[in-house]
Amino acid sequence: MPQDYDKDAYPEPPRQTPVVDKQTALPNPALILSKLFYYSVDLPVTTFRGIIEGIQGDKKSHYYHQNFRRVSELTECQEGDYICYYEAEMQWRRDYKVDQEIVKVIQERLRACQQREGPSYTQNCSKELQQFNQVSKCFQSRYGDLGAYASSRKCLMKQKERMMAEAQNA
Amino acid sequence: MVGMSLLRTVAAFTARLNPLNRPHLATNLLSRTVARTEQVAVRHGSHGKSMFIIKPTDFYDRRFLHLLKYYILLTGIPVAALVTFVNVFVGEAELAEIPEGYEPEHWEYYKHPITRWIARTLYDSPVKDYEKMMALIQMEAEKAEMRLQQLEVRRHMREKGDGPWFQVQTLDKNLIDHSPKSSPDN
Repeated sequence: MPQDYDKDAYPEPPRQTPVVDKQTALPNPALILSKLFYYSVDLPVTTFRGIIEGIQGDKKSHYYHQNFRRVSELTECQEGDYICYYEAEMQWRRDYKVDQEIVKVIQERLRACQQREGPSYTQNCSKELQQFNQVSKCFQSRYGDLGAYASSRKCLMKQKERMMAEAQNA
Repeated sequence: MVGMSLLRTVAAFTARLNPLNRPHLATNLLSRTVARTEQVAVRHGSHGKSMFIIKPTDFYDRRFLHLLKYYILLTGIPVAALVTFVNVFVGEAELAEIPEGYEPEHWEYYKHPITRWIARTLYDSPVKDYEKMMALIQMEAEKAEMRLQQLEVRRHMREKGDGPWFQVQTLDKNLIDHSPKSSPDN
């Protein structure tokens, strides 16, 4: 199986599974279904994967995540320096993608927390909820409503408008 | 005797005529058995009586479907076989940390072996594409700058008139005929 992600980077919260206090003699349908799924789907698929990996052998090739160098941003470019504009635009686009993924990770955490806690999630996962609110507010203020033709220049203008509004309110 | 044979022939004839009114089927009729023409044991070589079913032609539909299957599978099967063999025998790459001091080639940033092959043999590296785009931008920027400069220079030369542009050639003064000017009031 491919390696799982680094558990220290995205730590899972401690499991809050309650102790099973069975008071009926009826069988647990969830247990039956999970066992059924395991024997009919999980086990054959895992053994098939093991066979295929046995065929492939140990000469594994690797792939990496690319590290991009930081270049000067749009605010540090001279006017009319179109090369600088291009590099700043590409960097901004990469940062936009990274921010989208960050928001997705936070959303996933909140979703997992809600699934775990059930009806009392508003109380029990307040940290995740607060984190999600903060991140989505920041994302909305920086990138929201820029549209499909978003560019670093439009984002900069949006920031300018935000700063002007703040200066006016103050 | 003659009457008996006549009766026999008449019975046989009526039996042949209306086969439904036959009370005696396999028994002897009078003195000899009569062949049951409609209940003979017929042996087909197939699954029963062959019928001529009248329906509109399905030749064109069946031909179309046959050709469709043929042309789809003509390249579909080799491609499916290739992809299966690559996935089973070569396998996908594993994610790893970039080792110290090592610069991965541009195709080593992809997972699937076919994507890696395409990136290695068919595509330029993203760095080269980036540089190509920057070269185009540089050329266009130089062109735009030169056009603006040309307009500026035109303006200056028209205004000041001391440049090579916007010069109007005048006649050579040796060609002027001064003779009528020496005798005025003619």
